[in-house]
Amino acid sequence: MNTPARRDFIRAMLVGSVAAPWCALSLAGRADDDDARLVVVLLRGGMDGLSAVPLPNDAQFSAARGPLAAFASTPLPLDGTFALHPALVEMHALYQRQELVALHAIGLPYRERSHFDAQQLLESGGQRPYELSTGWLGRALAAKGRKGLALQTAVPLVLRGPGDVDTWAPSTLPDPSTDLVARVERLYAGDPALALALARARALREGGTMPERDALSGAAAGGARTLAITLARRAGEFLLRPGGPQAAVLELGGWDTHANQASPQGALNNNLKLLDTSIMALRETLSAQPSGWARTVVVVITEFGREVAINGTQGTDHGTGGAAFVLGGAVRGGRVIADWPGLAPKDRFEGRDLRTTTDLRALLKGVLHDHLNVARATLDQAVFPGSAALAPLELLRG
Amino acid sequence: MSSALQSAIAAHRFGLGEADLAVVGNDPQGWLLAQIGAADEQQGNGLVDAAEGLRRHDAFLRRFRSTDGAATMDGRPAEQSFADHFRDAVQADLAARLGTAVATQRPFAERLALFWSNHFTVSMAKAAARGLVGAFEREAIRPHIAGHFEQLLAASTRHAAMLRYLDNASSAGPHSRVVARLARRQGDDDRAPRITGLNENLAREILELHTLGVHGGYSQVDVTAFAAVLTGWRAPRLPRGNEASFFDAAWHEPGSKMVLGKSYPQGPEALGSLLKDLAHHPSTARFIATKLARHFVADEPPAALVNRLARTFAETAGHLPTVYGELVRAPEAWSLQPAKLKTPEEYVISTARLLRGGEAFVARSHGSIVQMGQRIQAAPSPAGWPDRADEWLGPEAVWKRLEWATRVGERWGRQIDIRALARDALGAWLSESTARQIERAADGPQALALLLMAPEFQRR
Repeated sequence: MNTPARRDFIRAMLVGSVAAPWCALSLAGRADDDDARLVVVLLRGGMDGLSAVPLPNDAQFSAARGPLAAFASTPLPLDGTFALHPALVEMHALYQRQELVALHAIGLPYRERSHFDAQQLLESGGQRPYELSTGWLGRALAAKGRKGLALQTAVPLVLRGPGDVDTWAPSTLPDPSTDLVARVERLYAGDPALALALARARALREGGTMPERDALSGAAAGGARTLAITLARRAGEFLLRPGGPQAAVLELGGWDTHANQASPQGALNNNLKLLDTSIMALRETLSAQPSGWARTVVVVITEFGREVAINGTQGTDHGTGGAAFVLGGAVRGGRVIADWPGLAPKDRFEGRDLRTTTDLRALLKGVLHDHLNVARATLDQAVFPGSAALAPLELLRG
Repeated sequence: MSSALQSAIAAHRFGLGEADLAVVGNDPQGWLLAQIGAADEQQGNGLVDAAEGLRRHDAFLRRFRSTDGAATMDGRPAEQSFADHFRDAVQADLAARLGTAVATQRPFAERLALFWSNHFTVSMAKAAARGLVGAFEREAIRPHIAGHFEQLLAASTRHAAMLRYLDNASSAGPHSRVVARLARRQGDDDRAPRITGLNENLAREILELHTLGVHGGYSQVDVTAFAAVLTGWRAPRLPRGNEASFFDAAWHEPGSKMVLGKSYPQGPEALGSLLKDLAHHPSTARFIATKLARHFVADEPPAALVNRLARTFAETAGHLPTVYGELVRAPEAWSLQPAKLKTPEEYVISTARLLRGGEAFVARSHGSIVQMGQRIQAAPSPAGWPDRADEWLGPEAVWKRLEWATRVGERWGRQIDIRALARDALGAWLSESTARQIERAADGPQALALLLMAPEFQRR
């Protein structure tokens, strides 16, 4: 009976700050049984890093953020300077168990503010938008000779590689007969793109993945909120299977909070809660096996942070530097990594954004190098071309 | 090129497919050029205009308030009730959109309407735009596709659905009267939405997605100043008479604003002048030319074609019929190889036209379009649906098309001579190998499934 909160939700919905959350899961790279597992959580729309990881005692923070600096309950302290948004309860517990690193003032080598260009870079790992048409994770898995397996109708760019990723999604339509499939394959003799897509879909079905269809059909029946949690659990279950995938990509949308960002029932608070619960669902599922969670790294990344100052509609417009998380049993956590540039107007990028002082690719390189054993030379040249000068961050337990 | 081949290309690449190419006649280019004009008026029962859409939002809000403290409305979570409240309106929109596309005798005009609806995306993924998306297409897009681009841009920008979808409805000038008034009242009602100034969402997306393109030569300063010009253009809770959006001076930022090096005065006239300047900007000519060529010709369109379209756009101050004419006459647009993959929506519409299934066919097919990856009216972002094949060619997406083709084959394949249908519909475009596969099919249903899956029908 939380009437004021519900009112806020409805009002927020009607004035337009609530975009329907959406989510998707893809899996990739068949793993050996003793392999490390990687989960990439993509937050689409630009998570506000200064709300997720605020600085409650910083005068500049309060001055710039006004009502956005006032949280419904006390932010959860990290290291004296930084804290976590009060909705991130489970992630805070992970920090205290030294299984979570928060990174701040982190971002892509990109200083404009377009969602579409920034997401292209977040997934491709390039330096300029659209210079690369495959994804950094796809290239890293290909370098390890890992064949793909993904679960949705479209392959997210981050998983596309020179090798291949297959997609799979639950269906209520009838199965075409094998005879028909063979005939359609003949139709595609002169159309390599269609032929390849069909061959992969067929191989995926013959590869014994059919029972998984029911698992996801059930998930698809729920709303987006339930779906994210269900997909996180499914990701965990798939990752635990012998010969299962090595990597999972979970996409959570709806982070573009231009309005009413601080509302307790607004999009940001709900999205952070959903993220927190999904992480917990993932951890619980992976903890079913002794080496599950212990051999897992989860990275939580977004295309950019948001402007330091609040905008005119109690939200924030697009910015550059933001926050990211690396967590999991394999992570040397309990740390905040931030070369803090300060929030005073003179310290901001172009007078408005949190300045990016850590390159997000250093985080990704660190995880791929130490966790998936991708060679440094491969990382410098193939996975993140032109990043040789960028040392991988050390994020894992020794 | 033979006229028979030209007919097939006109019907499929520029249109939405035909059951019999005879409708194209013996002058395929003339057939297309004659279609240029405002899009057909959508027909259907229960269609809601923007003003009525706003009233329904308001009705929901009042109904919600009357429940006063109940955890649910009508036994369902409020979120679910909200979706239900608009279900009929959304269903009517979908039926009208698909039904018009299936029935139209001006399929090229319809393709242009679909193209521009996607260029100026509004999506019910944002709750405040739900129930307004169909009205947006009918009011802002369809009447304006064959005028100057600036008219289309102005209609889109000022429509209630766009003002809500990209947050301009709640953006206020930091020095506007409404902000001063709200500041005095602050504290009376701490749950009231607080408005203190700009929201630059719409300004940025107009520059990036509707006009100049992301590398079109604007800066953050231009975005912010443009947002100030846009203040006052609102779609408030209730329409004024039948006007769902209007300029409210109390929300407008006083003073002149400098955008892209030019000063615009305070007041409602500035938006029109600024949109006109954006519409005439060379970056816009290039951006629109590229998108049109990509949509109709190839994912990576020939540079020479883009250059010619951009030049025509610039020389005619964005006169769209002239640009369309240039496209229709371009040799690059008549290449034999069908390079473009149909979107799920185009695939289903063209199948319905092929089978003369009418509105009843598409009414049953909406769920299948969703399964193939496209939820109409609910594009995931302001960039709209992608227009490159690799975005639609995930193996699973192709498999969904095959499953659907199988089902359609089962339902329709026994009633029709598929071999004759393939010849009539694809004409000279039907390859020998596809004809042979259809000829050798085990039965009618299989033959139809093969026709629907053939590269000549998946692509255009």
